[in-house]
Amino acid sequence: MEAWLEFGRGPLFRFCLVILILGLLRSVVLSLYGMNEALRRAGDKIVPWSDLTNKTFQWLIPVTRLFRKRPVYSAISFIWHIGVILVPLFLSAHVLLLFANGIGIHWWPEFPQRIADLMTLITVIMGILLFLGRVSSRESRFLSRFQDYAWVPLITLTFLTGGLCANLNLSAGSYQFSMLLHVYSADLILMLIPFTKVAHCVLLPMSQYISGVAWKFPKNAGDRVAETIGKEGMPV
Amino acid sequence: MNRVRNLKLVLWMLAGFGFAVGLTRFFFGLGATTNLGDGVPWGLWIGFDVMSGVALAGGGFVMTAIVYIFGREEYHPIVRPAVLTAFLGYVAVIFGLLFDLGLPWNIWHMIVFWNPHSPLFEVGWCVMLYTTVLLLEFSPVPMESSSAWAKIRATLIKIRIPLVITGIALSTLHQSSLGTLFMIMPYRVPVLWYSPILPILFFISAIGLGMLMVTFESHFTSYFYRRKPEIHLLKNLAGWSRWVLLLYLSVRIGDLAVRGQLDALTAQGWRTVWFWVEIVMMVGAPLVFFSVPKLRISRTGQWTGATLGVSGIVLNRINVGGFVHLDRGAGIYLPSFAELAITLAVVATLALIFLFFLERFHVWEERPVDPNAKPEALPEFDYASMVSLGAPSVASRYTRSLAFILAAALGFALLSDDVLTSKGFESNPVRAARGGDTLWVDGNRDNYGVAFPHSQHVKFVEEILTPGIEITDRENGGVSFASETEVPQYHDKAAICSQCHHMNLPGDQASGCYECHSDMYNISDSFGHDWHSETAGAGLSCFTCHQTGMAKNAESAKQCNECHDDLVPAYAAIEVEQYLAPGYTDAMHGMCQNCHKIHAEEVEKADLGRCTTCHTGQTREVIKRDQLNRWSNVPNNDITTFSSVR
Repeated sequence: MEAWLEFGRGPLFRFCLVILILGLLRSVVLSLYGMNEALRRAGDKIVPWSDLTNKTFQWLIPVTRLFRKRPVYSAISFIWHIGVILVPLFLSAHVLLLFANGIGIHWWPEFPQRIADLMTLITVIMGILLFLGRVSSRESRFLSRFQDYAWVPLITLTFLTGGLCANLNLSAGSYQFSMLLHVYSADLILMLIPFTKVAHCVLLPMSQYISGVAWKFPKNAGDRVAETIGKEGMPV
Repeated sequence: MNRVRNLKLVLWMLAGFGFAVGLTRFFFGLGATTNLGDGVPWGLWIGFDVMSGVALAGGGFVMTAIVYIFGREEYHPIVRPAVLTAFLGYVAVIFGLLFDLGLPWNIWHMIVFWNPHSPLFEVGWCVMLYTTVLLLEFSPVPMESSSAWAKIRATLIKIRIPLVITGIALSTLHQSSLGTLFMIMPYRVPVLWYSPILPILFFISAIGLGMLMVTFESHFTSYFYRRKPEIHLLKNLAGWSRWVLLLYLSVRIGDLAVRGQLDALTAQGWRTVWFWVEIVMMVGAPLVFFSVPKLRISRTGQWTGATLGVSGIVLNRINVGGFVHLDRGAGIYLPSFAELAITLAVVATLALIFLFFLERFHVWEERPVDPNAKPEALPEFDYASMVSLGAPSVASRYTRSLAFILAAALGFALLSDDVLTSKGFESNPVRAARGGDTLWVDGNRDNYGVAFPHSQHVKFVEEILTPGIEITDRENGGVSFASETEVPQYHDKAAICSQCHHMNLPGDQASGCYECHSDMYNISDSFGHDWHSETAGAGLSCFTCHQTGMAKNAESAKQCNECHDDLVPAYAAIEVEQYLAPGYTDAMHGMCQNCHKIHAEEVEKADLGRCTTCHTGQTREVIKRDQLNRWSNVPNNDITTFSSVR
């Protein structure tokens, strides 16, 4: 058990971390490269760059359009994202064991343990609600692939086992086992991020921008088409 | 099977593997990532990357001389790849050197701070200037593709002859001065490799190697791009290289004869065999393969002869560079995993750049067919998701980048934890002091130590602790003498020992210095967390020591003495405050110097506080006796220093 734990925290963690960082970098570079190539092939003269940039930033604000359709589901998802992003980065045990001892970064800030515990609890509850929301809605079921079902339970499991490890008065006997599950599921998450839908953590602006570039209609495009086919001023 | 695509995939993987490892070399330093040390400061990176890299780039100056100076225009088809190989070879040398230099950011120093007496100064300048010359010689090729460069290109072509002459002069200088480097060690380099004319030997072999390397490179790329190599030109080059190598052999043997060292050719020992292996590869193989007419005009013959010859000369450079005299230095050296990975990555990266130039520009007379640009090629699919990756060029972009990051992750994962947590220092484990009553304190067993008369020190401490003698409380660098009020009874043995032995490890009394100060120079861990937590050790649960509900770190853990109550003896002169123990040397100096200085003032004998009082020339006698009988007790009367001063 100890040897497996050491492996998961040592070589396997390093492997997954590099895959995560370089993999996300690769996705960004390749998508930009692809965009550039598409533009070059299309040979467009007019691209509404500022308009596209504005729209991309508008989509990055999480509380605009989505909240109108399914406000409860969106709110749950919003809270879930806060916990999922912040807790792993600023948990004091991670800061010490992974950042300071593992890769030698000593200046990283950390949360008080109590707040981290609270956020973990909220995230686990939100995870269960999210899963139920996906399963209960017919439209969602219709759209879901395997990874859409699997991601939320996987992340929730990591948070649950992590929370148990941090609070041993809850589960003193199962520390090793919870830790093993925690470490390996977290490694799996890191490794899978660049190759699945969670790559949206860096690709969200890119995909918005790139599809904007690819599927744009320049201003006055309609008038120009009409001009070209000789039907100016006529109803289309 | 597409040869180029497979080759590129492998090269991308090698580059990725070395990329992660190379980063760690810059983060954690040479000590952590290589097997180099003070005994073996030049290893694989110098022997292969620099010494052989420069030699392998010899094709550049040989081919430009043949074409532009001797006017053999018919060799023009192979001059461009030769110059490109040479240029990239030098770039590889510089990159290899950046990894090998301890302070790579100071590489510009040789431009400003001149040391004209050093052969390395000359090599450095020549490499810098010649790389510039090669860049200028080659740059007309990429400039062909755009008319914007036409003027500069025309100028470069106009000054080509002076450039070529400069290039040949610079090559002559530093191909030979790489040999000069080793003339400083006539007693270290074995007789079969050492020669006062080593520079001349290096230069002649570089000319031969240049021709062989052009042949090798042409066959190599022809295989991968499925094109016909320039056999009719290469056969002449091969023929000439034979004569150059024959000249090399006669000079080398002749030099041995002149110096009266011919016996060494038949002497017993592995070096003689190794010498003949080298000679057979670098001279014998080309001689045989390029003399039989049938072999000389066949692809197999040219390829085999050139490969063996090139490997032979690389072997020669590695031999002179260190392989044959490693056992005359300090210890055995094997390149570490990181050194190999970085070397392979440098070679792979440069090979990829070479292929890039081949495919994009007119390096050859005809451009190779880009295997990815075939319009009839079918689109490819990602096997896992069955998502279309599009045309093969897009698909190979995806697979190569994936191969790169997978290899980088693997390289980073394979680094040991020691490397990543290391401060970049070598560890020097300490061993116990030996001897009977007079101890021979020599932690790293290099035979430079201090003889330490134990009973005299015990007697001295007893006197101090005897009631009635006036003693004031002194604090000096962590050492404090027991004050008068708390002076224990002189017959209390534990109290006397504890004046120096400030730790009792569990189950031990007055533990030896080396038990905690277990590294010669670095701070070492006297606690042993892993032993406490492992089932094979103490097998404690985390929460035997750490508080629940808190982050598990040193602050949330119990103090050592909460479980081990007799860890710190009463009246200990040094208070142990943390589990990190200073290095052995610091600990010894801290313990001895402080008392000696204080006592020297008290008894007004300055010698008592001086380094040479303990580190004496007299210890040589002790060393001699010690070497004859390592476990003998050093008799008390041999050490006059301490007692005579007193």
